[in-house]
Amino acid sequence: MAGLTAGVRLAEAGLRVVTVAKGLGSLRLAPATVDILGYGPDRVDSPARALAAFVAAHPDHPYALVTPGVLAKSVNWLKERVNTYAYLGDPEVNMLLPTAVGVPRPSAVVPETMAGGDIRALKHVAIIGLRALKDFHPALVADNLRASAVSGGAAVEARSIMLNPPTGGEADVGTLAFGRRFEEAAFRSAVAAELRAALHDEQAVGMPAVLGFDHVGSVWTEFQEAVGRPVFEIPTIPPSVPGVRLARVLQERLRRAGGRFVLGAQAVGPELRSGKLVGVRIRTAARETVRAARSVVLATGGLASGGIEVDSRGAVRESVLGLPVWGRPSGAEPGFLPRYLDEHPMDSVGVRVDRRLRPVGPGGEPVHENLHAAGAVIGGARPWREKSGDGISLSTGYLAAGAILEDAE
Amino acid sequence: MIDESLPGFIRGSLDHCVKCNICETACPVMNVTPLFPGPKYEGPQAERFRTPGASADDSIDYCSGCGICTLVCPQGVKVAEINSRARATMKQQRGIPLRDHLLARPSVEGRLATPLAPLANLALSNRGIRLLIEKTLRIHRQAPLPKFAGLTFQGWARRHQPPPTDDAVVYFHGCSTNYFQPELGVQAVAVLEHNGFRVLVPPQDCCGLPLQSNGIFDTARSYVSRLARNLAPYARQGYKIVATSTSCGLMLKREALEILGMEDDQDLRVVSEQTYDICEFLADLDEQGRLRSDFNSLPITVTYHAPCQQQSHLIGKPALDLLDLIPELKVIELDRACCGIAGTYGTKREKYDVAMQVGAGLFGDIRDAGPDLAVCDSETCRWQITHGTGRESVHPVEILHQAYGLGSRARRK
Amino acid sequence: MTSSAVTASPATGPTWAPSPVQARLGPVECEILVMGGGSTGAGIARDAAMRGFSTVLVERADLATGTTGRFHGLLHSGGRYVVKDPKAAQECLAENVALRRIAADSIEDTGGMFVTTPIDDPGYADQFVQACIATGIPVEEIPVAEALRREPRLNPQISRALVVPDATVDCWQVVWSTVRSAAEHGARIFPYHEVVKVTRDGSRVTGALVRGPGGDEVQIRAEVVISATGAWAGRIAAMAGCKVNVLPGKGIMVAMSHRLVNTVVNRCESPSDGDILVPIHTVSVIGTTDVQVADPDDWSISHAEIDQMLEAGENLVPGFRAARALRVWGGVRPLFQDDLPAQSRDVTRAHAVLDHSDRDGVERFLTIVGGKFCTFRLMAQDAVDAACTVLGTQRPCRTADEPLPDSADGRFYWMGSRLARREASLHDDQLICECELIQRGRLEDAMVQRGTANLDDIRRILRLGMGPCQGGFCTFRATGILHQAMKLSASEANRAMLEFLQERWKGVQPLLHGDQLRQAWLDNWIFQGVLDVEHLPGMAQTREHAPV
Repeated sequence: MAGLTAGVRLAEAGLRVVTVAKGLGSLRLAPATVDILGYGPDRVDSPARALAAFVAAHPDHPYALVTPGVLAKSVNWLKERVNTYAYLGDPEVNMLLPTAVGVPRPSAVVPETMAGGDIRALKHVAIIGLRALKDFHPALVADNLRASAVSGGAAVEARSIMLNPPTGGEADVGTLAFGRRFEEAAFRSAVAAELRAALHDEQAVGMPAVLGFDHVGSVWTEFQEAVGRPVFEIPTIPPSVPGVRLARVLQERLRRAGGRFVLGAQAVGPELRSGKLVGVRIRTAARETVRAARSVVLATGGLASGGIEVDSRGAVRESVLGLPVWGRPSGAEPGFLPRYLDEHPMDSVGVRVDRRLRPVGPGGEPVHENLHAAGAVIGGARPWREKSGDGISLSTGYLAAGAILEDAE
Repeated sequence: MIDESLPGFIRGSLDHCVKCNICETACPVMNVTPLFPGPKYEGPQAERFRTPGASADDSIDYCSGCGICTLVCPQGVKVAEINSRARATMKQQRGIPLRDHLLARPSVEGRLATPLAPLANLALSNRGIRLLIEKTLRIHRQAPLPKFAGLTFQGWARRHQPPPTDDAVVYFHGCSTNYFQPELGVQAVAVLEHNGFRVLVPPQDCCGLPLQSNGIFDTARSYVSRLARNLAPYARQGYKIVATSTSCGLMLKREALEILGMEDDQDLRVVSEQTYDICEFLADLDEQGRLRSDFNSLPITVTYHAPCQQQSHLIGKPALDLLDLIPELKVIELDRACCGIAGTYGTKREKYDVAMQVGAGLFGDIRDAGPDLAVCDSETCRWQITHGTGRESVHPVEILHQAYGLGSRARRK
Repeated sequence: MTSSAVTASPATGPTWAPSPVQARLGPVECEILVMGGGSTGAGIARDAAMRGFSTVLVERADLATGTTGRFHGLLHSGGRYVVKDPKAAQECLAENVALRRIAADSIEDTGGMFVTTPIDDPGYADQFVQACIATGIPVEEIPVAEALRREPRLNPQISRALVVPDATVDCWQVVWSTVRSAAEHGARIFPYHEVVKVTRDGSRVTGALVRGPGGDEVQIRAEVVISATGAWAGRIAAMAGCKVNVLPGKGIMVAMSHRLVNTVVNRCESPSDGDILVPIHTVSVIGTTDVQVADPDDWSISHAEIDQMLEAGENLVPGFRAARALRVWGGVRPLFQDDLPAQSRDVTRAHAVLDHSDRDGVERFLTIVGGKFCTFRLMAQDAVDAACTVLGTQRPCRTADEPLPDSADGRFYWMGSRLARREASLHDDQLICECELIQRGRLEDAMVQRGTANLDDIRRILRLGMGPCQGGFCTFRATGILHQAMKLSASEANRAMLEFLQERWKGVQPLLHGDQLRQAWLDNWIFQGVLDVEHLPGMAQTREHAPV
């Protein structure tokens, strides 16, 4: 997300952009909701208004570099780029959307296919499962949803319905395969017919997020019409159909803006000339080569993506350029605590950046004038807990591109 | 994190799998058929249950070996390589059909059929004979098969007088250029000579790739090591080896070393380091300011599809950079993973339909774009594209050749 | 928690019935009460039931969760002990042969290899071969090149390789098969029933008071009580007013995410730390250490111990440190000694049956101590023989010849069998645990048969969540299935999920690095980032009570 955001913004501004990626990015695993700030640690109703206090309490957080103005601009920028379906919402208000275990999860900017799940406005919903889909258990969603009291609102009445749509005899059909099937009109109407017959007087219908890929806008609209009620999507565990949609949209944007991909090639180190960063060394099928570049954006992700690595002796490193890593536990302090849900000292390791998103050394000076970082490689956050992941990626990717564009002028 | 030189490096790479499923979002085969349960299942998952010499999984036969899983894996798992090895073990145990032995030896067929080209071509275009071949050999009656040229590129090269220039490169032409499309080799030589290179064409036979992809590893090893032995003296003198067959070039660069486990073949190692896909080589020249830019205008529209094997060179799409240099040429980049053919996979009776479904998206994009030519770096993919769209498909070098004004493109039927 | 007892049902194997029935009906009567549901206790229950005794087994937790379930899976040929303790080696060999006969389905015939690595005394191999010949352990020296051909990742610097009939064994499967057989012969088995009191009538032990999972206490009356509580035998003996000195020796093991070797590899040297690498199911386990601990429930693990194992692994398989370490755990050896020695590895591993009437003046109470997993059947035989003596009867033991329920055909376990099964039902069933290839049908059967709301109980039956992702994907799926299959409330299902997440975290947390850390972080994104499990309804209470 961070890399694509920076890449698209730079390419659209007319710069020659090459994206070097070891593989396809983790956006394909994410719900593709732009969560800005959900918990800090109490539930946040308005990310834009909560930001200042949150940053004051977390001075090393990447949001310390992001003003509410930048947040709003980057969100609008993204909305303008997604054109086959719409993103709704803004940083002013969090919606509360049910997860695949039925927890109302705060999220600010979400695909239109999900926004209808905001339980603040719902009284009575049906949660729909698909028999062959092992990654969505509607009864558990409905049971937990009923038990989730939302502040100021009555609990939601929720019921689960298990549908058995035609799968050609296949018992194990994943989210991706259902996503493709929903692009077929015949399949869609079969599901809608079965669903219509099973509904009572529920006000809206929650489905696993599998309502098509490239044609999601029309798939969702037609399916709602066929069902006769508002339908909203609930994100699943990976692989994520909404994540694939957004990744494809941004990749296509980058391609159309003249950006190039070097896929599968691992960046293995900096190319330096007299100490100055002039490119990145990458590993191709037969040898290492150099991709020369005037500016470099590092968007390799954090511990989950391998952008930050820890070896068997506990040494923590930034995996491509060997940049200084901040926030690691000191000395004998353990990196991880015995309770799963504790906040672990290793949680927020990463590089630290200056206001121009340049990774800095021990004295706070930029490591390279022309090196910028974006996304989860920047430490200081617990995005999976804060529900801030794509908000950080979007805003820092946007800012990193902005810094490069300023340099280019 | 595992040292790549260690024995067990390919299998060991399964350690990197975190089940993120990104390979599944990209696998062209599992996205069209439930017969193939997918790269993650066959690769890092099933591999943990495999013991030496005992194969439990037949579904791996539906892997086309396109390599996209390895390409897109952000974790560094050698998914396709694990699968290739497992498929070979499975096929060795179940028995390799005669058909696969035949499909895997293009240079044998080439040598036999070249003198009889008209007859062979006539036979292979006869419906009745194709039906008979389908019945007996299980090669699909509609599968795209190439025509024998009747002449070989090697024959032309022996007669060709290279210009007396200092810079020289070795040209690795591959079986397809030699037996089916010698004119591509002629044009590649012309483009290289135009840029000031003397082109050396050492004797060369099949690289063993079709044998490897059909699970006949021992014979594949002997083919590739013989080829490496022929090319190594040049590589050791510092000559670059330039290939127009992108899949065979990849075989020399990486696949034989990794899939066939030939890390210890010193000839192959040095050949690997010196091997370049021709577009990679020319784009590098351009980067260094050494590529001649005297292109004529070419006011046509082409689509460009980077085939799977080209993508697995991990060099991006240098053909796009080269085509961009040609005035008035309109290039439409296609963003589809695979045409379905995957070497010989799509010619097999039981896999033909799967392959056509895999290619359907690409064929649709090409038809929608309505190009004058469909450009693609791999010969088998070009045959499949023409089969699937009715459009003529050419190698990027053929476009460069024409734009340099080195002769008009020989139109094929 | 649903409490359960096993009863026999020949057609479908064990079926599970709720145990509160017995609790309400009052005291349970039996001839032999077995305390401890590890391999030894299970073996005693089977042996006693097969000899016609009315038998009850109680276990404080689930079966095979103590030392038995914390073992590396090596079925010794005896080679490991042959130089130092030929008697123990001989026992191992005999029991290796017996278990291959009765428990083939739980055993993989991997073979074993003793290799002289660069840090080993090259002379030990000759001593080893002589001792094997003297003891009767089949041994064959093979050329180093042949050893490396069989095991390509082995350290190429090894100087000798000796092949012995080691194998690997699934401890849970053996215990469950044994218990099924016991139940078929009439034994009643009570997991999750903890002994709170050993009851006595004067100098005679009359049974025990046990506390079930619901907190209810049940009186069990028995003619003889056998304590097969391993490292905990001292505590149980104390409840009966007796004294048993057990030296808990803690050892840690690290599981690597796939098989680095397919043969059991031992260093050809006197037994020491980190000298065995065991291919068991889909993983390879390096072990072990030996540290005296005061408390048998002390399973704590230090970074130094883990590092020691990784370093030892590097000596056997170069690149070991960079390979993926999946999980670490500790087990406590129940080493028996009347006079405490300095180092626990020097203590004899042979077992002893203690009749407390001789030692403590307490009658009808036996303790079996020492031993090791491989000799559990023999230990059980000796214990039941002693019980026969106490009861003044002679009944022959049949456990060495009669195969366990799943092993009648004598075919050894094959690791590819799950893959083959998945291939056969590719289109007909869902793959729930992708790492260990567990399909939905088997998972639902196990849940219903076992009658449990605890995913960890299911793990030990099916290996749920034991692969590389450590439950990252299957925990969510299995929770949804459990919720429906067991008709749980949402809060029960949530609790099952969170407890299983915690249980999986426990074993990865001490060694998180490299690939496993990346996995754990993806799992964080799934459970916290996508599902937001930390805000499930009722989480405030659940978090405080979540076990560490």
